[in-house]
Amino acid sequence: MSDRRIVLAQARTAILVALRTPRALVFTFFFPLIFLVLFNSIFIKGGDEMVTLPTHLKLSAQAYFMAGITAYSISLSTFTTLAVSITTQRERGQLKRLRGTPMPSWTFIVAQILRATAQALAMTLLLVAIGVIAYGVEFPGAGFLGFLVYVALGTATLCTLGIALTAFTPTVDAASTIAPFTVVILAFFSGVWIPIDQLPHWLQEVGRIFPLYHLAIGLQGTLSPEASGAGLEADNITPLLIWALIGAFVATRRFRWEPLAGTT
Amino acid sequence: MLGRVSASAISVKGLRKSYGEQEAVAGIDFEVAAGEVFGFLGPNGAGKTTTIEILEGYRERSGGEVEVLGVDPEQPTREWRSRVGLVLQECELDPLLTVREAVDLFATFYPAPRPVEETIELTGLGGKREARIGSLSGGQKRRVDVAIGIIGDPDLIFLDEPTTGFDPTARRDAWNMIEGLKALGKTVFLTTHYMEEAQHLADRVAILREGRIVAQGPTSELGASLGRRTVIGFRLNGGLTTEELRTHLSTPLQVAGGEVSVETEQPQRDLYRLLSLAEERGITLLDLEVRKPSLEDIFLDLTGGEDPPGAGGTTGEQAP
Repeated sequence: MSDRRIVLAQARTAILVALRTPRALVFTFFFPLIFLVLFNSIFIKGGDEMVTLPTHLKLSAQAYFMAGITAYSISLSTFTTLAVSITTQRERGQLKRLRGTPMPSWTFIVAQILRATAQALAMTLLLVAIGVIAYGVEFPGAGFLGFLVYVALGTATLCTLGIALTAFTPTVDAASTIAPFTVVILAFFSGVWIPIDQLPHWLQEVGRIFPLYHLAIGLQGTLSPEASGAGLEADNITPLLIWALIGAFVATRRFRWEPLAGTT
Repeated sequence: MLGRVSASAISVKGLRKSYGEQEAVAGIDFEVAAGEVFGFLGPNGAGKTTTIEILEGYRERSGGEVEVLGVDPEQPTREWRSRVGLVLQECELDPLLTVREAVDLFATFYPAPRPVEETIELTGLGGKREARIGSLSGGQKRRVDVAIGIIGDPDLIFLDEPTTGFDPTARRDAWNMIEGLKALGKTVFLTTHYMEEAQHLADRVAILREGRIVAQGPTSELGASLGRRTVIGFRLNGGLTTEELRTHLSTPLQVAGGEVSVETEQPQRDLYRLLSLAEERGITLLDLEVRKPSLEDIFLDLTGGEDPPGAGGTTGEQAP
């Protein structure tokens, strides 16, 4: 059937709309790039600083920041943009209008996830390229494979959570405040802005509850020369999977096609 | 398929819808024949939107039977959705897309869509196809809504106030387009605030008030079937008192300001008497007119005189 065409047409539309939203592009595209450059300039003095992860693995500060900013960037590209764009489309009545066509509803969701995934992968590629070329980051052994697994798992988890969040954002204002704010705050708790071994213990304990922490620490672990194999650890994989399930559960149960505001 | 035997595009029996205590639709019946333009009229809050959203498959009903193209809209199938075109009340399209991108996107949803370029031309958006929807005027946005509503080449089209915000030229164009749809054999379910629009386009109308249908029938016969009479209207400029008029005409008349209107079953007799009287006294009857009751007169009568919003500029004034 032509369902594949329907998915692709909607994904293409979602990409067009994203590219035509300058404010969102600044946040999701330029911010991670700027942060990567800034943190490397601010925190790295001699060039041989090491960061120790809570898992006791050590890695270079350059690799640490590249992985942490990648986790942050994936959150913005998926969780934040999905929550904001789906809420916007719902509150404008676009989803209601789409619902009145023969388009199968799953094709809309898949198309939004495709757009988010494409954006997350493009940003990851860009950040890794800068890390490797400008800051000499190296992938040890099978680390690259582990890195990719975390990118995929983190993208999937944060996509479901972004869609789930729309159940709790009755207005576009709510979505575009809550979604980016959550990511910025959790980035502190997850050692994205400040090396995790310099954070107070309690902050880490709070961060450990949330998926961004496990995505960041997981990605960072794969870049440690001390990591075994691909650097995949159940301590990070399991919480990400649990969050993915929570997100998928809420998203499928609570997704709304009609505006939440002003319904009769 | 189920229901193909019936010639009705829409069949509604005893439809009810309550929101909590409040009954928005209180048991209505109507049929829309395949190929006709059906006007669904009523003041705001009468239950129009609730009814149309039930027919479109957006709302569940509280009671009654509904069939749209032989299908219960509470169980919409993909095939059914592709035969029903919607033009909702407001523009529900992404303002960042161009007209062509939006129409292209919706075309992919349908098994046998109309040609995109031709549809854009048909809705008068040829010159705007590369313009972003957000940059269009209200009337142009409505045209995009209409283009998207018909892109799937539906058998039945719901037009919910399709010309709101149109200037008179754009409204004429839209009317021509809707007549074109009818000529193609499409069934059109039209709600509108503009009575002259319903009068011009609809083969039959139903008038809704407080969740009930207070009148329905062929547009041209609705006035007669409700016992409405021809109206003679004019303005008095002295020389005659209303008392004298009453005695001479032996027909009830209404006066509002300087405007007099005489509702009559015998327009020829009353007009003759009126003109003779005026001639005799040597006075001029200003703005003299004879008119059949317009749909607007009937509408105002049946809906308790509440003004249909935006329906200005017609002469259907009514004394209290």
